[in-house]
Amino acid sequence: MTVSRLPSAALSLKQFLHRQNVLGIYRNILRTIRRVPDEADRKFLRDWAREEFHRNKNVTHEDAIRMMITQASNHLAELQKSLALAHS
Amino acid sequence: MAARVLQQCVRSFAQPSLRLCSSNLALRVTAVQAVAVHRPLSFAADSRRTRWLVQSRIPSVGVLCRQYGDLPPLTLETIKERVMYVLKLYDKINPEKLQTSSHFMKDLGLDSLDQVEIIMAMEDEFGFEIPDAEAEKLMTPEEIVQYIADKKDVYE
Repeated sequence: MTVSRLPSAALSLKQFLHRQNVLGIYRNILRTIRRVPDEADRKFLRDWAREEFHRNKNVTHEDAIRMMITQASNHLAELQKSLALAHS
Repeated sequence: MAARVLQQCVRSFAQPSLRLCSSNLALRVTAVQAVAVHRPLSFAADSRRTRWLVQSRIPSVGVLCRQYGDLPPLTLETIKERVMYVLKLYDKINPEKLQTSSHFMKDLGLDSLDQVEIIMAMEDEFGFEIPDAEAEKLMTPEEIVQYIADKKDVYE
């Protein structure tokens, strides 16, 4: 039986990967929001993203986390598609 | 007034087909530097008179010196000031408690989402992208300054 030498506050591998995922998606969302032409829209979208991510940051149930990551990716894809349409 | 005289002296310097002998010009330039304020009119008249003698068009100084456009050079001091300024504008940070060595998570009580926002703000301020892997390691203003100085080749 192996004894883990990590401190108890360390995340498990899955949680660690989820965390990386979430931060990556957050960063991509913020970068995509930068490309929005209107300043008021940008502010609205930034506040919306902040609100959503901060509201759910303490969720621990793994399925819920995965569902939210998928949702965020969908939002991101939609935003990018709208921007591509707007710029074409 | 003295500046205009100096400019005219430099212009006459720049002329390739100038008939002034170099010693005369050197004398005039040093004399201008020494007696700067006192006799500007005579020197101006002098150089104008000699310009009448030479009939070619007077090029401006810009012909012999190149001019490029660029941002002002970065120094460690200016980078630090800008980083601290951006951090003070961030609404979740208390400006009084902010120092260059304050850790975002341990001292200022921010979380990783806030840290992502802060690094985004730094990207906006300095105009270049910071990749994810390196961005998540920057946890104090001092580290951010060091990273930017590394990337922009600023050293002292």
